[in-house]
Amino acid sequence: MHTPLLKTLLTERGSQVFLGVLIVTAILVPLLNLAVPADSALHVSTYTVTLLGKYLCYALLAIAVDLVWGYCGILSLGHTAFFALGGYAMGMYLMRQIGTRGVYGDPVLPDFMVFLNWSELPWYWHGFDMFWFAMLMVVLAPGALAYVFGWFAFRSRVTGVYLSIITQALTFALLLAFFRNEMGFGGNNGLTDFKDLLGFDLQADATRIGLFLATAFALGGGYVACRAIAASRAGRVIRAIRDAEGRARFIGYRVESYKLWLWTFSAVLAGIAGALYVPQVGIINPGEFAPINAIEIVIWVAVGGRGTLYGAVLGALVVNYAKTWFTGAFPEVWLYALGALFVLVTLFLPQGIVGLLARARKTA
Amino acid sequence: MAIVKLRPHLAGLLTGVALGAASFAVQAADTIKVGVLHSLSGTMAISETTLKDTVLMMVDEQNKKGGLLGKKLEAVVVDPASNWPLFAEKARELLAKDKVDVVFGCWTSVSRKSVLPVFEELNGLLFYPVQYEGEESSKNVFYTGAAPNQQAIPAVDYLMNDLEVERWVLAGTDYVYPRTTNKILEAYLKAKGVAADDIMINYTPFGHSDWQSIVSDIKKFGSAGKKTAVVSTINGDANVPFYKELANQQISAEDIPVVAFSVGEEELAGLDTGPLVGHLAAWNYFMSIDTPANEAAIANWHAFIKNDERTFNDPMEATVIGFNLWAKAVEKAKTTEVDKVSDAIIGLEVPNLTGGTAKMLANHHLTKPVFIGEIRDDGQLDVVWQTEGEVPGDAWSDFLDGSKDIEADWVTLKCGNYNTKTKKCSGQNY
Amino acid sequence: MTARLHRPPGRTVAHLMLWCWALLLASGLQVAAAQAPGDTHHAEQVAQLATAGFGEKERIVDALLEARHPQTRMLLAAFLDGRLASRKSDGKVFITEDADDGVALVDPVDASAAGTAKSSALRKIGTNNRLRKKLKGAIALFDLDDADAGVRLAAVDEMLRELDATTVSALRTRLGVEDSARVRRALEVGLALADLSSPDAEVRLAAVGTLEGELGTAVYNRLKTLERDEPDARVRDAALSGLRHIDQWRRFYGGVETLFFGLSLGSVLVLAAIGLAITFGVMGVINMAHGELMMIGAYTAYVMQLLLPQHTTLAVLLAVPAAFLVSGLVGVGIERGIVRFLYGRPLETLLATFGLSLILQQAVRSIFSPLNRSVATPEFMSGSWQINEVFSLTWNRLYIVIFALLVFALLQLVLNKTSLGLKVRAVSQNREMARALGVRSARVDAMTFGLGAGVAGVAGVALSQLTNVGPNLGQSYIVDSFMVVVFGGVGNLWGTLIGGMSLGVVNKLLEPWSGAVMAKILVLVFLILFIQRRPRGLFPHKGRAAEGH
Repeated sequence: MHTPLLKTLLTERGSQVFLGVLIVTAILVPLLNLAVPADSALHVSTYTVTLLGKYLCYALLAIAVDLVWGYCGILSLGHTAFFALGGYAMGMYLMRQIGTRGVYGDPVLPDFMVFLNWSELPWYWHGFDMFWFAMLMVVLAPGALAYVFGWFAFRSRVTGVYLSIITQALTFALLLAFFRNEMGFGGNNGLTDFKDLLGFDLQADATRIGLFLATAFALGGGYVACRAIAASRAGRVIRAIRDAEGRARFIGYRVESYKLWLWTFSAVLAGIAGALYVPQVGIINPGEFAPINAIEIVIWVAVGGRGTLYGAVLGALVVNYAKTWFTGAFPEVWLYALGALFVLVTLFLPQGIVGLLARARKTA
Repeated sequence: MAIVKLRPHLAGLLTGVALGAASFAVQAADTIKVGVLHSLSGTMAISETTLKDTVLMMVDEQNKKGGLLGKKLEAVVVDPASNWPLFAEKARELLAKDKVDVVFGCWTSVSRKSVLPVFEELNGLLFYPVQYEGEESSKNVFYTGAAPNQQAIPAVDYLMNDLEVERWVLAGTDYVYPRTTNKILEAYLKAKGVAADDIMINYTPFGHSDWQSIVSDIKKFGSAGKKTAVVSTINGDANVPFYKELANQQISAEDIPVVAFSVGEEELAGLDTGPLVGHLAAWNYFMSIDTPANEAAIANWHAFIKNDERTFNDPMEATVIGFNLWAKAVEKAKTTEVDKVSDAIIGLEVPNLTGGTAKMLANHHLTKPVFIGEIRDDGQLDVVWQTEGEVPGDAWSDFLDGSKDIEADWVTLKCGNYNTKTKKCSGQNY
Repeated sequence: MTARLHRPPGRTVAHLMLWCWALLLASGLQVAAAQAPGDTHHAEQVAQLATAGFGEKERIVDALLEARHPQTRMLLAAFLDGRLASRKSDGKVFITEDADDGVALVDPVDASAAGTAKSSALRKIGTNNRLRKKLKGAIALFDLDDADAGVRLAAVDEMLRELDATTVSALRTRLGVEDSARVRRALEVGLALADLSSPDAEVRLAAVGTLEGELGTAVYNRLKTLERDEPDARVRDAALSGLRHIDQWRRFYGGVETLFFGLSLGSVLVLAAIGLAITFGVMGVINMAHGELMMIGAYTAYVMQLLLPQHTTLAVLLAVPAAFLVSGLVGVGIERGIVRFLYGRPLETLLATFGLSLILQQAVRSIFSPLNRSVATPEFMSGSWQINEVFSLTWNRLYIVIFALLVFALLQLVLNKTSLGLKVRAVSQNREMARALGVRSARVDAMTFGLGAGVAGVAGVALSQLTNVGPNLGQSYIVDSFMVVVFGGVGNLWGTLIGGMSLGVVNKLLEPWSGAVMAKILVLVFLILFIQRRPRGLFPHKGRAAEGH
């Protein structure tokens, strides 16, 4: 296991570049933020750190989608569900940390519950005051949902667009459910006004840097894990399933279980991305479940280049940076630019940016 | 090697992001920057684009008057795209990167909740121009729209006293503003002796478009022989199909009047108003009110937007009032520094467009007149009732258990969330 | 107060009124009425309207009613319609009528033409709900003697809302001379309702007997109070059995109504999905811009209405073919410009068309502004069809159900009976074979996509009658559309029809029990589970889309 993985990581150019840049960024950004004075041209503002942290969360999410889509041909239009569930698990922990500092000063109930006249904490909120439990849930909630969903779907051999559409139905149903105030997740306002994480003030620069590093670490770890899967024997079977599912089945592979485990792992990655995302953006709301966001993730992967993992990372960064820049620079017309980007990439760059870079290298 | 060739691309991109954002921060401060944080795309663009234009108009006007403190004003517009985390990000961008002196923005409660920690952390200044559920008073936010006691309660009083309504349908979109408003109203109605059987509460999701069953239920509820009214906190997009269904099921305003808190001139412009004549809306401003100030404001707006058909509505007036108050406070404080402006603004008064004055209170809310209007066939509203004088905005409702003991006072108590029973100030972020 | 002092003897006025009324009916409204003794009083009252508050206006209406001047009905009708205005220059009150050059003025005392004015020179005399209700009642008093039985019936219905001594005596008088059976029945019901308050138990019992078989809410509510408060046991029992009867019918019609609501919701889903069923089902193209094609259709209806401002009905009818053309052409453009490069890569069409949907949305925002636009409902589609007292169907929903079925039938016809349809089916089943047999598959692809897009446009016109016409219109239907197509079975129009209708009905059956949101969630969960049982939908179909991905 180890030797082929290490070999892949060290010889594959994309991986080298990606991991290299990730490590350099993870070292440079905190340094430039904390050590360089604010008036220096080299200073990286906290705004930028948070922004980068957010992008890295998206990148992890993109890797999760690329793992199932690029390597196994399962186009998920529902990964936002796992991302948001992970986010909610983290958000619930952060809500419980507020304690008496909420507007109504209730030691146990979050503000929105006091406000809706709830007298006690619903059962599913118990345990979230403990960090380890919340972290367990970050992994378990999306994982279990994905497992149950996948168990049904793959066993029934739901494939292709049908699978895509029911994943969309899944996240849409959750969106509607979480919008309901009766659900006990804060309805449309979601969870917000977080104060601290493990005792660290969320508004402190050091905490932000810590979260940024944690995200970078998770992204690196997630990447290596996905690479490991792809490079393993199971990874080859998974690619075989992508290319000819029927044939793989006839040869005697248990296609369903391969798919199921890959799918569940991908959902867990998405959940972790969501958990890291929430403390950095400061809010989790049912809007994160929106099917339209799920399509956007797929687009990041397509823009970067599917089936390469680092392409997914690149796509997530490019599209989101473009979005940040466009919404600031051309608020009136940015959707034209974004829309055109998607159309042009699919038409002219079927392999995404990674493919373009590879082609450019060949001709050079 | 090829790696060396590739690396500049990727590395350049990443560090480009980092450094590009950082370098913007260094800018000259020879103008006063006014941030505009309204969605220009996505679901909320319908409502918020107009407010962005209103702020631009006010900036333009102020510059024609010579700016403020001898400096020109410069508007910085961003698009948070109806995406709540993006609201927080853009707020941070405006405050940390663009270093704006004041921000006018937000519409939905969730967008305000999303940016609130950012404004408190970076000590920014936000003027929030939309009627909302109350239960909040931040050091860094000035609420120029109505609190529930400036819209909902007077409207219910009117229905009860003038139209002798005995049976109530409280219909709303399922989010915090309707939930709070309906909770306050329910408590208020019960205090006035309305039986629980005579109150029907219904929540629907955002953008609900199939109203057949609900309208049919309302019709049945309203045919029990008692005068019935609908108090609607239905939001935005869902209103058009709701009113269409009302009209088609032939529920007329004389039988079951609907009083809406989120339907104004602008929403009516997207509706065939013929069948809606007589239904009601409660606001603090109506375009049809005949005062010289209002006439001038509308004329300005038409000239600015270059379209005589455009409507003027309540949140726009709230934006105008907020802007004028801020400008006055800056002149009084002789600086745009947030703390000094915040201190200076309390107690300042500017005229409402409909007469009377808007005074900034110590709880960061305004005094406002309340009008009830009936929808006309041309999409305007005729005032049928109004409060005598202005109603002071109450941040914490007196009708809710959790909040009746809480006071907001930024002058003497220096707290937006002071519990008069426990004598404690909680929930503050600094 | 002045009203009473100046009041001439009632009988004379009534005679005069009848006389004048006949004269007016005979010779049209332009004939000046004879100088009646009430003119001065009438004129005085009318003049006061210019400055009166709402309370005063009500008193003036009372006074006018009591005086029964010949022009009272005309005046009140104009008042109700908002066609009463005072001239800003001299405060004189006129009835206004739209004219080519501004507003035509009519004198409210003698109904003579009084020249024209600019609308800015007039101040409308406003009404409010109370006043309008009063005016409707007052006009009903006049309409009770109208020549048209339909008008009389409406007048009786209006008066049943609130019975008092005046209305009851008017009803009784009318019953004596009424010759239409329907109006007689309505009058009897009204009088029976009044009789229920009689101190005589026999009269009350007889009244309950008269009301038997009636389903109206006025009757129901009155019986309900009777059942509670009635001292006489016989009357109470009779009321109770009447109530049971009504309850039974109400339940029955409630069920029918729910079913209709379901079908109507279903037909909206079918309309939204059926275009997709063609592009997605038949061609295997995942068109995320499908919602925006509907949006274009809805905006076409809006533009048609701008072009024909005076002809709402015509505009909507013309909008149907226009939307088909506009959306269809956009669809052909999309196919030629984007989709044709992506055949065989269905998931990538999803991405490209999603980008396109963003562009189209923003284009609409730039052209029409982000605000919702209003599309007027034509006369024939507004209101409802009152089948009986407890059951009515709204016309717009009814027409949309019919419209959806029509569109479906037409599409079936096109696909099964035309040469285009034959080619479409051939290409969808086996592209290579079809090409080998000489079908120009590229052309067929463009036409099919155009057809699907055109149908989406037509659906947009229907939606413009139900909901917002705005840039977000498409987005709110796209997820639902995909669900319907997948549920019904990709590539099968019948599946889409039955799938859409059944999802609509299930949704509406659940709604009273679980609330609107839960109903939708349950439907989605049901759909997810259903797909597990039948991974290819209700009606599986073999075709290009069913193979491969």
